[in-house]
Amino acid sequence: MAESKTQPEARELTYVAAINEAVRAVLTEQPDAFVAGEDVAGAGSVFGYYKGLLEEFGAERVIDTPISEEGIVGLGVGAAATGLRPIIDIMFMDFMGECMDEITNQMAKMRYMFGGTAYLPITVLTMSGAGISMAAQHSQSLEAWLCHLPGLKVVMPATPYDAKGLIISASRDDNPVFVVLNKMSLGMKGEVPEDSYTVPIGEASIVRPGENFTIVTYSRMVHESVKAAEALSSLGVETEVVDLRSLQPLDTNVVIESVKRTHRAMVVHEAVRFGGMGGEIAAQIQELAFDYLDAPVARVGAPFSPVPFSPQLEQSYIPNADKIVAEARTLLDV
Amino acid sequence: MKRPIGIAANPASGKDIRRLVARASVFDNQEKCSIVARCLVGIAAVGHAPIVYFDDTHRITRSAIEDANISATPIESLGTGTARDTTRVAVDMKDFDCRVVITLGGDGTNRAFVKGWLNAPLLPISTGTNNVFPVIHEATVVGVAAALIASEMVCFDDVADQQKVIHVRIDDEDDDIALIDAVVSMDRFIGARALLDCGQLRTAFLTHANPAAVGMTAIGGLLEPLNTTVDAGLVIELSSNPASARRWVRAPIAPGLFQDVGICSLQRVALGHSLEIIGPCVLALDGERERVLKPCQRAILAIERDGPWVIDVERALHAAAKNGALVPAWELNEARNAG
Amino acid sequence: MQPSDDVLRDIHRRMVRIRIFEQEAGKLMEAGKIPGALHLYVGEEAVAAGVMVHLSDADQITSTHRGHGHLIAKGGEFHKMFAEIFGRVDGYCKGKGGSMHISDMQIGMLGANGIVGAGPPIAVGAAFTNKFKKSGNVAVSFFGDGASNEGSVHEAANMAALYKLPIVFICENNGYGEYTPQAHHQAIVDVADRARGYGMPGVVVDGMDAVAVYEAAGEAIKRARAGEGPTLLECKTYRFFDHVGVRGMGLSYRSDDELAKWQQRDPITLFEATLIEQNIVSAEEAKVVHDKVEAEVQAGIEFAEASPMPDPAALLDDVYK
Repeated sequence: MAESKTQPEARELTYVAAINEAVRAVLTEQPDAFVAGEDVAGAGSVFGYYKGLLEEFGAERVIDTPISEEGIVGLGVGAAATGLRPIIDIMFMDFMGECMDEITNQMAKMRYMFGGTAYLPITVLTMSGAGISMAAQHSQSLEAWLCHLPGLKVVMPATPYDAKGLIISASRDDNPVFVVLNKMSLGMKGEVPEDSYTVPIGEASIVRPGENFTIVTYSRMVHESVKAAEALSSLGVETEVVDLRSLQPLDTNVVIESVKRTHRAMVVHEAVRFGGMGGEIAAQIQELAFDYLDAPVARVGAPFSPVPFSPQLEQSYIPNADKIVAEARTLLDV
Repeated sequence: MKRPIGIAANPASGKDIRRLVARASVFDNQEKCSIVARCLVGIAAVGHAPIVYFDDTHRITRSAIEDANISATPIESLGTGTARDTTRVAVDMKDFDCRVVITLGGDGTNRAFVKGWLNAPLLPISTGTNNVFPVIHEATVVGVAAALIASEMVCFDDVADQQKVIHVRIDDEDDDIALIDAVVSMDRFIGARALLDCGQLRTAFLTHANPAAVGMTAIGGLLEPLNTTVDAGLVIELSSNPASARRWVRAPIAPGLFQDVGICSLQRVALGHSLEIIGPCVLALDGERERVLKPCQRAILAIERDGPWVIDVERALHAAAKNGALVPAWELNEARNAG
Repeated sequence: MQPSDDVLRDIHRRMVRIRIFEQEAGKLMEAGKIPGALHLYVGEEAVAAGVMVHLSDADQITSTHRGHGHLIAKGGEFHKMFAEIFGRVDGYCKGKGGSMHISDMQIGMLGANGIVGAGPPIAVGAAFTNKFKKSGNVAVSFFGDGASNEGSVHEAANMAALYKLPIVFICENNGYGEYTPQAHHQAIVDVADRARGYGMPGVVVDGMDAVAVYEAAGEAIKRARAGEGPTLLECKTYRFFDHVGVRGMGLSYRSDDELAKWQQRDPITLFEATLIEQNIVSAEEAKVVHDKVEAEVQAGIEFAEASPMPDPAALLDDVYK
């Protein structure tokens, strides 16, 4: 503790507090930025990450909206196209079904359709992930929907540090950026500098080096993968864990370079395995590093089922370290 | 054979530009449909009467009739979406020899109806914006009044009054009519119809002048009130030029809209009095720009008491109470047996 | 407010520009010279012209799939428009948008839109910017009777009224949602009736009468600029051509009689007759307007035909900034 006094940058913050600090930094730095979404102002969001912002920045910049996701995203698109820098909150990413036209056909395409004459500096904050018995409509990981849309950027921070840095990066980007947060991570603590800083969009990070095996993952599954890597280490497998951080654009280089060193790879995500990002990443690995592979690329993801409600069922649904280890042992034959 | 009751609802009433400039609100057609439905309940409470109705483009009356599951004779709309539809249906209702016609609309609607049937027997329900002509009564009671008259339980002559009108004759064009006011405006176009700029007004010819009403009639009413029963009209010369205006009056020229109106002169005139108007100008009739007069084109405005007969709902219901018209048949039978 | 002579001539010119552009574009499509589909605005000119004459380049509009008329009335240039619908590199969108996505951000035309009902929420965003920046600008959103049934329109209207935004919703009710008559797609006839439920004024106006549109739109826009909130203005109008392309007569889903009846109220014929009768323009002056626009259209087509196709190397340009 004495150390933290001399090194203030080693300050620890929760994921939820890091989000709050990031949005506060954006509103401070950018006079044209505002936050709009359901329950963001008076309530400070149902997850609490906008607490205090209404008081600090006023009702003109922190705006409660009706429960009208299509209207909210449209507001963001129109405001961005006419010179503002909106932060739009979609409370649960499951609610994207309500606003998929404004996302798919307007936000993602407007710049291209208009021959590059439109600027859409929109940041969308939204919440993914299962684990707290919110059942099938409040627990999904639908990032693959977004990554399939040319024109959008998608980031999924695993740590408080990345959450703050990626939100600030997103807000400075002149493209629409989805920052997909994770609700199970809200209470996790990590080092977060007090100053404003950025984590570059499109750069993966190697969170644990290893030479025998590569796990490519993102969001909360980074932590389960690190846990799995520790377990595999006791079996003599040194696992490199790559946290993608950004899914669109995807940092293919870091992934391919890692696989070229380790010759075996697995993709881990919480989203349903079928049609998930794992398929895309596995395909890229075999396209770009086929000759380096000593085994097929494995995938760990949720089964092809809606997210169940009952805690027991939900736990058996969500990928975790044990499942990753089990799958890795089959793949690696250890 | 009972003479039929006519029902004519104007789908276009209560929706014009006065929603914007005069803080009026939209009179939606669902509400008009409910008003017709309540009229039908009132008619049914008195007893069966044949009904003919204006089958308007918005199906207002048709929906109410279908919902009530009663048989009635539709009169097809011309379908122009203009006042001509209402004027045309008035001609047909006259041919049907309607004993009484319930109209839904504002001053403009009743004017359009009277254009087709000058001395129509009317029960006007207000669903418009300027409502000097129609009076506010619950539709249920209006339905009762219509049925009492159609079934001759109440004597028409005792409860109806013939109204003054202004006849408008325009060189080389169709005649027109005004129930409340005919106004000369220096506007050039009919446009969005409503009369909203008193600065453009030159002459107002009023059949009645009521300070408690809204529209052109209020201008006269605030200067020299004149009610519907007096055999006279008012002619007012107006100007927005302070040099020619001799006095000013602050009048509600539409709901929610006051303007200061400059008055040059005011003259009370007898029935039969006529005014000659020479174009270019626009003639506004009952608050709406209706006719464009070309340069040198002439119009003659003349006031007469040969307009529609308007049934006084209060008098009709009081008469019904006096002669026991609304005592149910079973009660009459019991009374007879007891006697 | 009655329009001045200058405004009347301006409205006339805008209407004629739309009419001739659309007629020529339709011919080109029928001749197979234009890729894809065109949704033409012929018959509805009084609405775009009567509204747009109140707007400056700083005011924004959102449009529909039937968007050429809105862009032309807002000040769009023929040569860039033709180049775009020909898919050429000199088009408004460098050939990447085409007719359904034609736009000009410089003059606040935030795009035609291929998705029915997608524009109003975007216009709400533009109006939000105007309020946020206290710019005094107004956003105008055009949509049809068909779009009025989309949830997006209800969401946008509610939010606009809630935040008292400087916006005008213009419903161009042409009686058809694509090929389906209004009576088969909604239980009401006047879309403006819904305004009351949104908490804003609703007005119905004759969309074939440019002066009526001018007056009503003027009041709605004035109200929006004054910070008094949104208006739903419904203009009753009619599509002289088919949903896509030109053919007006002989369609299975509407009668020739109906079309003929509406054509008797052709907004340009009516307006020109009034202007000539009132000595605001002479018949000769009106003809000069037509001739000039005709020449401008032909020059636009020549420009477009001479413009190169986009380089395939540009395929991925502008996906991202």
